[in-house]
Amino acid sequence: MRFADYVTLALRNIMRSKLRSSLTIFAVVIGATSITIMLAAVFSLKGFMTKQFEANGTFQQIMVSPQTDINWGDYSGNQCQDCVKLTDSLAAKLGQLQHVVGVARQTQVGQFQALTYGTQKLRTQEISAYDANGIITTQVLAGRDISASDKTGVLTISSDYADKLGFKHNYQALIGKQVGLMTQGWYSGVGSDPIQASKNQQAFFSSHPGANGQDYQPAPTTLTGKIVGVTSTTDRSYAIRVPLDWARGMEENQMAVVTQADQDAAQAKCRQQHTPQGCNTQPVASAVQVSDELAKQGYNSYIVKVDQSSNAAAVAKTIRNTYKIGAADAQTEIKQQLAIFNILGLVLGGIGGIALVVAAVGVVNTMIMSILERTREIGVMRAVGARRGTVSALYTFEAGLLGFFGGIIGLLVGYGVVLAANPIINKQLSSNSITGSNIITLPIWLIVGVVSLTTIIGILAGLYPARRAAHLDPVEALHYE
Amino acid sequence: MFKEDLKHNMAAVIEFKDITRTYRLGDEVLNALDNVSCTVQSGEFVAITGPSGSGKSTLANIIGGLDKPTSGTVVVDGQDLSHVRDRQLSDYRNRHIGFVFQSFNLQGTQTALENVMLPLLFARMKPGERKARAKECLEAVGLGDRLKHKPSQLSGGQRQRVAIARALAVKPSIILADEPTGNLDSERGAEILKLLKDLNKQGITLVVITHDMSIARQADRVIQIKDGKIA
Ligand SMILES: Nc1ncnc2c1ncn2[C@@H]1O[C@H](COP(=O)(O)OP(=O)(O)O)[C@@H](O)[C@H]1O
Ligand SMILES: [Mg+2]
Repeated sequence: MRFADYVTLALRNIMRSKLRSSLTIFAVVIGATSITIMLAAVFSLKGFMTKQFEANGTFQQIMVSPQTDINWGDYSGNQCQDCVKLTDSLAAKLGQLQHVVGVARQTQVGQFQALTYGTQKLRTQEISAYDANGIITTQVLAGRDISASDKTGVLTISSDYADKLGFKHNYQALIGKQVGLMTQGWYSGVGSDPIQASKNQQAFFSSHPGANGQDYQPAPTTLTGKIVGVTSTTDRSYAIRVPLDWARGMEENQMAVVTQADQDAAQAKCRQQHTPQGCNTQPVASAVQVSDELAKQGYNSYIVKVDQSSNAAAVAKTIRNTYKIGAADAQTEIKQQLAIFNILGLVLGGIGGIALVVAAVGVVNTMIMSILERTREIGVMRAVGARRGTVSALYTFEAGLLGFFGGIIGLLVGYGVVLAANPIINKQLSSNSITGSNIITLPIWLIVGVVSLTTIIGILAGLYPARRAAHLDPVEALHYE
Repeated sequence: MFKEDLKHNMAAVIEFKDITRTYRLGDEVLNALDNVSCTVQSGEFVAITGPSGSGKSTLANIIGGLDKPTSGTVVVDGQDLSHVRDRQLSDYRNRHIGFVFQSFNLQGTQTALENVMLPLLFARMKPGERKARAKECLEAVGLGDRLKHKPSQLSGGQRQRVAIARALAVKPSIILADEPTGNLDSERGAEILKLLKDLNKQGITLVVITHDMSIARQADRVIQIKDGKIA
């Protein structure tokens, strides 16, 4: 028989018992649809996330921290005592390494308690600062990001703060507004007045004789700054960013210092008072000593950027081995995390696979039934010259066609679900300020794969019934009632 | 071997030698044919008669290549059928044999035209030629106006004509008719026999199985079978 005749005859046979064929195909459709949707979703999401990271240059990034057991993306807030310090000079050294295109120094200032605007006070814990050299990027929703020329007095806040301040959907109105950064009481950085603080402390203890250290709560300082930008929460929520120079000032330890002159002045006062028991007049500090704590303690972390993502792992290794500090590249870490999608794909695909196995049993059953019904016809075909191989091929073809149709319809249904799901996902993404739309796609390999799979399953399911049909005794088949 | 064009096969000689066909039913062994030998000349019209169960159909099926003898040899046109594989046997049925059955054996879901085209499908004839040839055959049996009719829309006599048209389609050298008039009244039966005899006159070897003596009398030769043996 010619190929076209196989198609015609098989189609005609399928059309003959429409209900039975439809039910059989329906079972295949369920399997094909679930496989399509699950694999499309899993692999599109994986691809989307990988692309996001690649677009951000994340895969070119290495996180360096004093802790040697760091993982990429770990929060590296705690300084450790015996660790190598992340100093400016170390950052400069890393910048010289082969394949390294830049280093962003990062620090978190932890001595704040509130962000204030007018009468509003929002709890805050940390203020972050890092080099504005383009290595760490943040999506800006309004205004601008911190730039390298910014020194002090400017900041960006993330949109969740802006929402709470009543600027939802109107971030632009917040640009240029003055806000306060309220410190904790013991704050000793830039903007604090250590001489006044020391006077206040003395005054407290002289008016509260017998008080112990914990009873004294110094007054907080409020630093003022101008909002220059509102950032997306995608990278970080409840984030306040200031220029690195300002952060350096915030981390300073400014101490009131008693000078020789202060001590002389106190003694002169004593002598004036003529107290024979001894002088108890405390010297009053008049000088301020500033300690650059950031230089002493080092940064919390660096982000090192390499020229190509393929070099990231090797450079991270070099940094670890050479400087005895922690260095983790995003790629190794994220790829490991994204590997979960492969497992997910296998599991979900397996569920679809089970549905297809059930469908295959349905195909076997349908084919055995219809061959039984057509026994006499098979006898006639054999009598007029059909070879065993022809009969076998015809029924195998028919079963394959059931699988093929199931696969096609399953794909169409799956495509419909994808079309319906994408707008919902788009909404989710845009409400989270993530760029990307219609991220679930049906790749060609999936389309070809699903249809091939269901067709092959149909063919395999048809083999046994077709063999039975081919081996019917023609004489007996012709007399079959 | 033909592909595009069916050339008329030369009328064939059928030779049987010591044919035995045994059926085993549990412990019982039944010889449906028991050491049968005979020859049918090319272009001959032979009637095979005998009581029911005597082995007539078994003999016809072996001639037609639907069945194989347990022992003995069948040679048709010099081709030994007793030792060929399914492929050759199927092709032999397709090209040399036209079967006509008592119960017509038409495909119920297909039209008269499609039924007649069926053997041509297995002969890998082109669709256009196939249709033309099937039409020609149906016209030859007087059913040129019934091409699109399904068997259920035709009378018994008409159904058997479709079956004869189907047998004719591949221009066979032998027509094997197993009680072709058994399901028809005598008038329709006579018409069918006339049709078959006309084909025989055109040179096709005709083997008709019947226990109707009025039919057997018209044959060139009558072979009598009884209990699987030629009487
Ligand atoms: N498939 C079979 N299995 C067992 N016995 C069979 C089978 N086919 C035919 N027979 C037996 O073989 C004998 C000859 O049958 P058959 O050739 O059909 O007779 P006829 O056509 O002369 O009536 C009968 O006794 C029949 O019962
Ligand atoms: Mg019989």
